[in-house]
Amino acid sequence: MRFTTLDGLRRWLDKLAEEVDLVAPTDVDGHVLYRPVQSADAILFDYERPELSAKDFLFPATEVLLRIEQKGKDVAIEEVLPDRKQVLFGIRPCDAHGLAVIDALFLEQDPPDRYYRHHRERTVLVGMACLQMWEGCFCTSMGGGPMDTTHLDVLIRPSEGGYFLQPVTPKGVAILEGLPVEEPKGEPPSVKEYNEPVPVVPPEKWRPLFNDRIWMRHGERCLSCRICTYVCPTCRCFDVTDRVVDVQPGLTRIERIRVWDACTSPNYRRVAGGHNPRPTKPDRLRNRFYCKFCYYPEDFGPLGCVGCGRCIVACPVDVDITEVMQDVAKQT
Amino acid sequence: MQINEPLTQQIREHAHRLLDGGEVECVIGYEIGPRGRARPAFVYGPTEVDRLIWGADCVHNLTTYLHDKKKPRKRGEEPPRVAVVVKPCDSRTLNILLAERQIARERVVAIGVACEGVVGKDGQPAAKCSRCTDRTPVVYDVLVGEPPEIPPVEDDWSDLARIEEMSPAERLSFWLREFDRCIRCYACRQVCPGCYCTTCMFERDDGLWVDAAIDVPQKHVFHLGRALHLAGRCVECDECERVCPMDLPLSLLNRLLVREVEALYGHRAGREETLTPLVFELGPEGSPI
Repeated sequence: MRFTTLDGLRRWLDKLAEEVDLVAPTDVDGHVLYRPVQSADAILFDYERPELSAKDFLFPATEVLLRIEQKGKDVAIEEVLPDRKQVLFGIRPCDAHGLAVIDALFLEQDPPDRYYRHHRERTVLVGMACLQMWEGCFCTSMGGGPMDTTHLDVLIRPSEGGYFLQPVTPKGVAILEGLPVEEPKGEPPSVKEYNEPVPVVPPEKWRPLFNDRIWMRHGERCLSCRICTYVCPTCRCFDVTDRVVDVQPGLTRIERIRVWDACTSPNYRRVAGGHNPRPTKPDRLRNRFYCKFCYYPEDFGPLGCVGCGRCIVACPVDVDITEVMQDVAKQT
Repeated sequence: MQINEPLTQQIREHAHRLLDGGEVECVIGYEIGPRGRARPAFVYGPTEVDRLIWGADCVHNLTTYLHDKKKPRKRGEEPPRVAVVVKPCDSRTLNILLAERQIARERVVAIGVACEGVVGKDGQPAAKCSRCTDRTPVVYDVLVGEPPEIPPVEDDWSDLARIEEMSPAERLSFWLREFDRCIRCYACRQVCPGCYCTTCMFERDDGLWVDAAIDVPQKHVFHLGRALHLAGRCVECDECERVCPMDLPLSLLNRLLVREVEALYGHRAGREETLTPLVFELGPEGSPI
């Protein structure tokens, strides 16, 4: 455990910003969002749960995979991989937990996802503990917690006189080398308040409920937008397309891009010929919950939800994953 | 949230009568979720009508769900007949959907609410209510509540002033900053009763206008295109702005076009059952009908 003041933390971050790609919680026109920062001045140190998860920096919403240049008959293909080290500062323990969930598919399957692995290897996760659970949070029901160190390289706990920094991995020890350390003032804080736990039903008990009327009840008001999947730290579906970026006489430049996709979207499941096996909103919303609590754990291991509560707060029509979990629990 | 008991009771009575008599298959209204938030509710039987409520948090424009009721449940059957609770602003959408032949008048029972205004995201009176002059819906079959005596306020377009003070370059940078926050979740499009294309031109696999990237150029084209497709059709229910998780001020885009259309054509969408003057049907000779 190391201790430093806000000033010490800021000096350390300013130095880091010169050496690595530093990402941290910032105020973007009144919204708390993780963004790349050039210095500690842009960073929020006292903030709630950022509205979007940190997955964007390991699984970008838009990622150029290949650059293709065609000159006459010559075609040159270049793979695009950033090489600078990246530090995600101030992410919440649920964000790191979400990355561990994505790892089960993108890292632990054979072959692993080359691009995700590259981002994962270049990234150090420096988490900021939550001193309370926010609206909608239920991480403690999903195997995490407001001060969970499990999936982080460093956990920071803010206290009255400064910050307690706990390295968790060798990567974490290394990144803290330049930190100006001081004598601890006071004790590390503990969590002030926990939210009510939510029942988690095991995957096999979801199967018989596939045709239950609860899907109609929750899904009928769904808008089929993508908010819940895009704010989610574990949703990882994507689409790959090619786009022409430049055409000149004798020269064409093309990019192959990967972009986020969402199972809640009407087009997501459409197949050749135009058939859509999930034609209605309840069909699609059901898939989102089955993916999280049935298919993903059965196929890849971990549950596909970390209880961050972002989808609950962001949904404009009050689709509430904890209400669904409670309804499923009542049926089993 | 505050529940208006008398109006809640009247809505439940109408819903019970319509469902019990088999006049409609479903009543689309509002209920309270477990976290105390008002939300859309679909009631299919007379025993369930006590879920329905009315209060100042009932901000959603429920007419958007009529698109899910356009198709018959089984081939060969008629589409279901449904009832929907509408505020004055929502009822203007009914005129749009009727004029655009999206719904047949006889398939919808409009439970109109005499409206005192609803609240916005911040708990304050919604901006759209401050300039609304309708106290009763423009289309309804039954009316609940008494029209409140709130003096009409003329729409002075003061919300647009901050945009108009800007130079073209400042306006562009203002909008690009806003679009930068957009996450391309399409919630604005999905909630809009006027956005009902089977395949959105901004989401086509072979799209010529925008590719699938979630970057500022694509978001820029999408938002301007979305607003333009609603020119003369937007009824200013502001649902797009309400649902936006990044608080993009989309009503500014919509209202700039509303004012243009009113100035050029004297048309304000939804007041009557007429098509936008920006589209017309071609007759047999190729001339507008």
